Amino acid sequence: MLRFDRRIISSFDWISLILLLIILGIGLLNLYSSTWTGTSPSTLFTKQLILSIVGIVTILFMLLFDYSLLKKTGYVIHFLIILLLAYTTFMAGDTIAGTQRWIRLGFFNLQPSELAKLSLVIVLASCYATHEAIDGYTIKDLIKPFLLAIIPFILIVLQPDLGTAGMMAIIAVSMTAIVKIRKHVIAVILCMGLVGIPLYWHFVMDDYQKKRVETFINPDADPMGQAYQIKQSIIAIGSGGLLGKGFKEGTQGHLHFLPERHTDFAFAIWAEEWGFVGSIILLACYLLLLVWGLNVAMTARDKFGMFMAFGLIALIFWQAVINLFMVMGWFPVVGIPMPLISYGGSSLLVTIISFGLLINIRSRKDIPAK
Amino acid sequence: MAAAVRENKKNIKLVKKDNGEMDRMRKRIFFISFIPIIFFALIITRLWFLQIQEVDTYRQKAENNRIRTIKIAAPRGNIVDREGKPVVSNRPSYNVVLAREGNKVDENLIKKVASLLNLDINLLLEQERKAARESAHMPITLAEDIGWDGVVTIENNRMDLPGVRIEVIPRRIYHYGNTASHLIGYLGKINKKELAQAEKGVYGNNDLIGKMGLEKLREKELRGQRGTRFMEVNSQGFEQKILKEKDPIPGDDLQLTIDMDLQKAAEEAMKDKDGTPLSGAVVALEVNSGKMLALVSSPELEIEKFIGGISYKDWQEILNNPYLPLVNKLVNAQYAPASTYKIVVALAGLAENIITKDTEFYCPGHYRIGNRTVYCWKRRGHGKVNLKRALSESCDVYFYQVGQKLGVDRIAKYAKMFGLGQKTGIEMEHEKPGLVPTSDWKKRVKGVAWQKGETLSVAIGQGFNLVTPVQLAFMTAMVANGGTLYKPGIVNMVKKPDGEIIERFSPQIISHMSGQGYNLQLIRGGLLEAVNGKHGTGRRAILKDLDIKVAGKTGTAQVVKLKHVKHLKDKDIPYKYRDHAWFTCYAPADKPEIVVTVLVEHGQHGGSAAAPVAQKVLEAYFNKKLHKSGDVNVAF
Repeated sequence: MLRFDRRIISSFDWISLILLLIILGIGLLNLYSSTWTGTSPSTLFTKQLILSIVGIVTILFMLLFDYSLLKKTGYVIHFLIILLLAYTTFMAGDTIAGTQRWIRLGFFNLQPSELAKLSLVIVLASCYATHEAIDGYTIKDLIKPFLLAIIPFILIVLQPDLGTAGMMAIIAVSMTAIVKIRKHVIAVILCMGLVGIPLYWHFVMDDYQKKRVETFINPDADPMGQAYQIKQSIIAIGSGGLLGKGFKEGTQGHLHFLPERHTDFAFAIWAEEWGFVGSIILLACYLLLLVWGLNVAMTARDKFGMFMAFGLIALIFWQAVINLFMVMGWFPVVGIPMPLISYGGSSLLVTIISFGLLINIRSRKDIPAK
Repeated sequence: MAAAVRENKKNIKLVKKDNGEMDRMRKRIFFISFIPIIFFALIITRLWFLQIQEVDTYRQKAENNRIRTIKIAAPRGNIVDREGKPVVSNRPSYNVVLAREGNKVDENLIKKVASLLNLDINLLLEQERKAARESAHMPITLAEDIGWDGVVTIENNRMDLPGVRIEVIPRRIYHYGNTASHLIGYLGKINKKELAQAEKGVYGNNDLIGKMGLEKLREKELRGQRGTRFMEVNSQGFEQKILKEKDPIPGDDLQLTIDMDLQKAAEEAMKDKDGTPLSGAVVALEVNSGKMLALVSSPELEIEKFIGGISYKDWQEILNNPYLPLVNKLVNAQYAPASTYKIVVALAGLAENIITKDTEFYCPGHYRIGNRTVYCWKRRGHGKVNLKRALSESCDVYFYQVGQKLGVDRIAKYAKMFGLGQKTGIEMEHEKPGLVPTSDWKKRVKGVAWQKGETLSVAIGQGFNLVTPVQLAFMTAMVANGGTLYKPGIVNMVKKPDGEIIERFSPQIISHMSGQGYNLQLIRGGLLEAVNGKHGTGRRAILKDLDIKVAGKTGTAQVVKLKHVKHLKDKDIPYKYRDHAWFTCYAPADKPEIVVTVLVEHGQHGGSAAAPVAQKVLEAYFNKKLHKSGDVNVAF
């Protein structure tokens, strides 16, 4: 099993790796600036740099294993992560801003909900790849994937971390979208959604979360809170202009007008300091990656690889789009990071591993599974 | 990217052969790959809009976030007296100012400042509320003039006080206290009306502006030009660095024609024996130039109290003061000239050939006109009186007769030649023109014809005539200098901070009486006698220790009709019914230099109340002069 197949090197997915390194490099460069203390780089930067190196070494090492291994072990991993989520939610989670999301691991704080996104992609891919349904999925066929998604979803809602929970839902829906489903089932799901959203609003969402959405709809109601963040973010982006204010020269970030400048609003810093040109370069790399990732899915040797690659790209895509929309004032502030650009160890690791899996799938497209 | 899409297309063709479920999914994924392209196109459009289209708007907003503009008050111009002695200058004062980011103010921050400075928190909160009502973005001045210890305390706690800063504001110091308050005036916070009238950008909301006197009239020269400092601040309001600085330009300095020693002496002379200020005015001026030497309106205003807004209590106190300190008695109030007007009547009589220097009238102590009897102030009568005696002993009967022969309109002609009935043009606000009655005037204003009896009142300055102390002083100067009326000068020089003189006083002649030299000389003889003659009414003005002769005229202006008070002794008459006392004079009599005119409101008798004041002022003037030339002699 551990025998290294030389064909992997000849068909190695350089494109994914290079795109990963470029975007990761941009993210680190931006983090260096956004957390600059005035005299030296911040320890946050050092941490992220070390994690990046660890992550890249890890995925190269992971290349030794065939991704098909995850078809079965994925369920185990998913189960373990659900346990970890439950532990975080009910027992030991560090409370940050009123929510329990983190497990302290000394060097960095692990956020199990980030891991859950990845494990969900893996188990759903496995589930859809193994379950044959010639005439399309019935409701009964969808019970298993539904359970796989709903359990971590509820645990994350309870933390409460609505952004990540919503992300889980979006991934599950996205992956289900490429499965053949019977028409009446689609109708039922749509109806459930229409009923479910108002119920969700009334019974699940906390006041502060409702307020975020309300603020987004009516920004003047809350000049110093959420709307303030969005306003400052737009000012940061807009004031960047064509070429930007220059590396470490962004005033909105360095003078602290922009809150969460290295996490949720990291892209605003990039846009402020590197301008329209810098933003286009980053977005082009991102789009290239997404299209390439879908290509990886289309050329995968098996259904599992196809579902997984598609799920991983959906995960990266939706996070990036929601984050960008949020930063540009088109979406409420929901705390979704921009993969590889926003600071955050768990998100970084999950994204790098996602890349590792993509590379694994692509590099093995011509190597049959054992 | 395009290459990747092309390859996706190729793959579709490739897999069409197997026709399995994977094919269908590949197709689906191919179409799905347009979703990210559409989303990213949207995002790039938005970025184009923000970063290219609207870049200026957002640049400006970012700069507004980052840059705090701080106004630096310009030091106001100094005011010095004619010898260069400082009268008003500036000292630095320290205000605690809170910058506002957005429109929220942290009350805890204000509490912290209050406790650090041991100030009443409510007072500071009141300041904040007041400022919030006025403007949403201007910095709030929490405490004014906190002193050096306060500055040190605030600076030491800087890190706990984001947005709080010390502002250095030049504050007026009055080197002579309240002396010359009506002349100098005072400063106050600019009000809405003044702000609206001023040129844009010259004043800010809390700026001080001259509200009275020279501070107001010379505001343009004195105020200077404020500077600006552009500071970079962070979101908590901590200042990071100075980006740009424009220094303020100090205001121009004023040099007065006033001699502050004489001004002070005049203010002192206007006090009763207990040291309480009398109500009234003192004018001293140079006979041959119109330069003012002293201008006292008594009692003085406490100008310090007006800085930054006077308190209600202090204001009530000023309003309730029976001596009316708010009124500038030099030019804002008008009084009957009383016997000082006899100078006018005398000149008119001489010029119109009604009398000569030797014309005599008999004064039995009363004068009968029609069925009415009017009296001389001296009921026993003066007997045979010529011009000199009439002036020196102020014989009413003499002037009744001269006046009656002249008629009111001819008196008015000469009164106007003396500058009465018109503003002198002195640099003081709300100057009153006085009043020279004529028959036309009465017809026009009162609607009734002039009555002969009224001319008698006018002849002794008790009728409708009204003058201001400054007018009377200039009339006296004309007697002394042979008939030249000068424009009053208060500001001798205006100097830019770099020393460049931009305005210099030069005597300006308004009018000159021609052909009256001899007649004026005759009047001067009468005035000399009035002070120095055995029966003169102004003997209290004699300079005992100096070899200098004074010439002058007394006046006692009735405030109410004699019949109301004649049965009472002087000291029993209620204050407000007592007569006003006038004395106007010049010296040295042979070569006049200085005119001194004194009005003591309700002082009762010109000779006893006003003349001694003039005497003290003249003594101060000549003693200083002697002393000075003495110094010069020693030096030689």
